[in-house]
Amino acid sequence: MNPNLAIKIAVPLVGLSVALVALAVGWFFISAWWSQPPAILGFSEGPEQPVAFPHTVHVQQAGLDCQFCHRTVSTDEAATIPAVEQCLFCHDFGKIDGTLSSEPHAAAEIQKVRDAFYGSESRDAGAIDWARVHRLPDHVQFVHQPHIAAGVSCSTCHGDVASMEVVQQVRNLKMRDCVDCHRELNAPTDCVTCHY
Amino acid sequence: MVTTPDLDRDLTKRPRERSWGMVVDLDRCTGCQACVIACVAENNIPINDESHYHEGRVMSWIRVERYWEGEFPNVKARFIPLMCQHCENAPCEPVCPVYATYHNNEGLNVQVYNRCVGTRYCANNCPYHARSFNYWEPVWPEDLRHQLNPDVTVRSRGVMEKCTMCVQRIRRATRGRDDVPDGEFAPACVQACPTQTLTFGDLNDKSSRVYELSHDERNYTVLKSLGTAPNVTYLKKVED
Repeated sequence: MNPNLAIKIAVPLVGLSVALVALAVGWFFISAWWSQPPAILGFSEGPEQPVAFPHTVHVQQAGLDCQFCHRTVSTDEAATIPAVEQCLFCHDFGKIDGTLSSEPHAAAEIQKVRDAFYGSESRDAGAIDWARVHRLPDHVQFVHQPHIAAGVSCSTCHGDVASMEVVQQVRNLKMRDCVDCHRELNAPTDCVTCHY
Repeated sequence: MVTTPDLDRDLTKRPRERSWGMVVDLDRCTGCQACVIACVAENNIPINDESHYHEGRVMSWIRVERYWEGEFPNVKARFIPLMCQHCENAPCEPVCPVYATYHNNEGLNVQVYNRCVGTRYCANNCPYHARSFNYWEPVWPEDLRHQLNPDVTVRSRGVMEKCTMCVQRIRRATRGRDDVPDGEFAPACVQACPTQTLTFGDLNDKSSRVYELSHDERNYTVLKSLGTAPNVTYLKKVED
């Protein structure tokens, strides 16, 4: 093959592929900035939690309401993750220890919760260090209470958590997302409603 | 066609639901600075050190100005607590190129931190020197790590900030309620004042204490000649 011809073909090919890679990386960052990272390479998955807590079992099988555990959601700023003690209401005194579960890890995961409360050889008694899933910027003061009072259901923003094995964020929860909904429902759009 | 705005319109008569305001009774002020400390603690204001004073870059939302009256030996110390006056016709608002400061329908002059780009035009235009600019990223000593108020944004470097009349407390008290009893809540400075120099309330509520006091015969507003129409009224100190 004529070496000149090879160069003539190779140079635009390399240039094109570099441009395509640059475009793809650029698209990834821009789309992650404006909404959420695209659902590739595991970016859409929720973080791994210290205890594999399945909402599916608690909501679908046990039939618990969100507010049974997230108790302050209708009165306070944060919905809060319950104290370890609250888990033990069922998993210690209620004698639900996971040994009857078809899930092989259930008993081990529940033991982690008990260890967190009573302490064990491997850890001191104390709170479980859950990984945060939904995080808003520091300059946003989001309060759950008025949203619950206005009759907005949890799933409007958090998605169908009841069917999530691992909790993940489903809406981008950027300011546009909030403001669109506030306009639609005639909720206040004064800046100082959320930013102070 | 060019339309001319009605320059004579009374900007103080805009209809609104509430009009939060304050009265400062100078007859009561002892200059103790409790309001200053309470404000710093409530609003996550960075701590000033000596060099900040020398550089003229002190962060404070409320300060107690001291001045002297009379000639020696009959000289008297006078104090006047100064904070953002929440002017109805605020000089800071029209100069902001990004609308980071505006007047809301509760009579508050609002500073939106995430809009602010740090031009500092507003602070230059404020006749009361009520605004502070974050020239540095704020840092707190390690043992004060847990004293930050979670209800208030920690402002970052390059952002203007000022008194909000503790809007976080207003939000908490008025959340889901139309009718808040007068005096049920107050900003940190008002709450901390040992001599009840400061009174806070809704100036639209004719039965409120702040409305009554603001119509006291000793009333005046600071730099009234500028026509800023402040929501903070001062009561003159009277000699006996």
